[in-house]
Amino acid sequence: MVDIIEEPVGKDKRKIFRVKKEDLIAAMKSFFEQGFDHLSLITGIDRRDKIEVVYHLHSVERNEYIVVKTETINDTVPSVTSIWQSADWDEREQYDLMGIIFEGHPNLKRILLPEGWSGFPLRKNYDLSKVQFVNMDESGNDYASFDPGDGW
Amino acid sequence: MKTGDAGILTTTMEKAMEWGRSNSIWPLTFGLACCAIEMMAVQASKADISRFGSEVFRNSPRQSDLMIVSGTVTKKMAPRVRRLYDEMPYPKYVIAMGVCVLQGGPYNQGYSVVLGVDRVIPVDVYVPGCPPTPEALINGLITLQKKIRGETDR
Repeated sequence: MVDIIEEPVGKDKRKIFRVKKEDLIAAMKSFFEQGFDHLSLITGIDRRDKIEVVYHLHSVERNEYIVVKTETINDTVPSVTSIWQSADWDEREQYDLMGIIFEGHPNLKRILLPEGWSGFPLRKNYDLSKVQFVNMDESGNDYASFDPGDGW
Repeated sequence: MKTGDAGILTTTMEKAMEWGRSNSIWPLTFGLACCAIEMMAVQASKADISRFGSEVFRNSPRQSDLMIVSGTVTKKMAPRVRRLYDEMPYPKYVIAMGVCVLQGGPYNQGYSVVLGVDRVIPVDVYVPGCPPTPEALINGLITLQKKIRGETDR
């Protein structure tokens, strides 16, 4: 029922699975039940016309890694925080730098950059010519702005 | 300075102050990135910064004279660097260590790094390198000592 395409083994001898976005939660649940109890990392790849999201899963008991890939055209992917709690910060990081919106995430906001930062820096269409500055108020909260006079 | 025949040293108050000041520059315990490892090596036994009176890395900016900015200053870190600098008492000195601190270094075209810490705080001595060797940092410290004493390098 879940449509999983298995690719040949990658360079690092890890099995790669391609999953449709709609099937992601069901596929991840079945992987979790197969013993992959540790979500190692989440990455995003900007392919210009689509965003690829890569999950590395690890089985602590068998010491085995697999890679699950999915892709999206409208920047949204279902959140896997209901399966692995540790996905919380990984998904926030991907939202912060790649602009991937994880639907169903309990607290989806920036984790590294200050609130108010414009754009997502690791995207191909990020505008580097607009320099942004970060300033800190008396209570230690960061805020970002484009005004160089607002700098340090 | 002139040495008298009777073993008496005559000098000006200013020179004595400069001499004392330049031989007890206490740095701030402040490391930002990989350059901090070299800064620790300078403090350790092989390079031994205590030969120049700077072995006491103070943990409070209120007790330190020198800030060695050792490592990449990100935009988020820049206001903190500024605040630490403001909390140091006068006279205070700054050594910029490594190319990241000088002009951004390998992160020059990045989005998150300040292109030179001299945009945030005034710098006395620049020590280039990626990272600078402990000898280079000691050379920077000696340059700073000469600067405090009003001597010139050339």
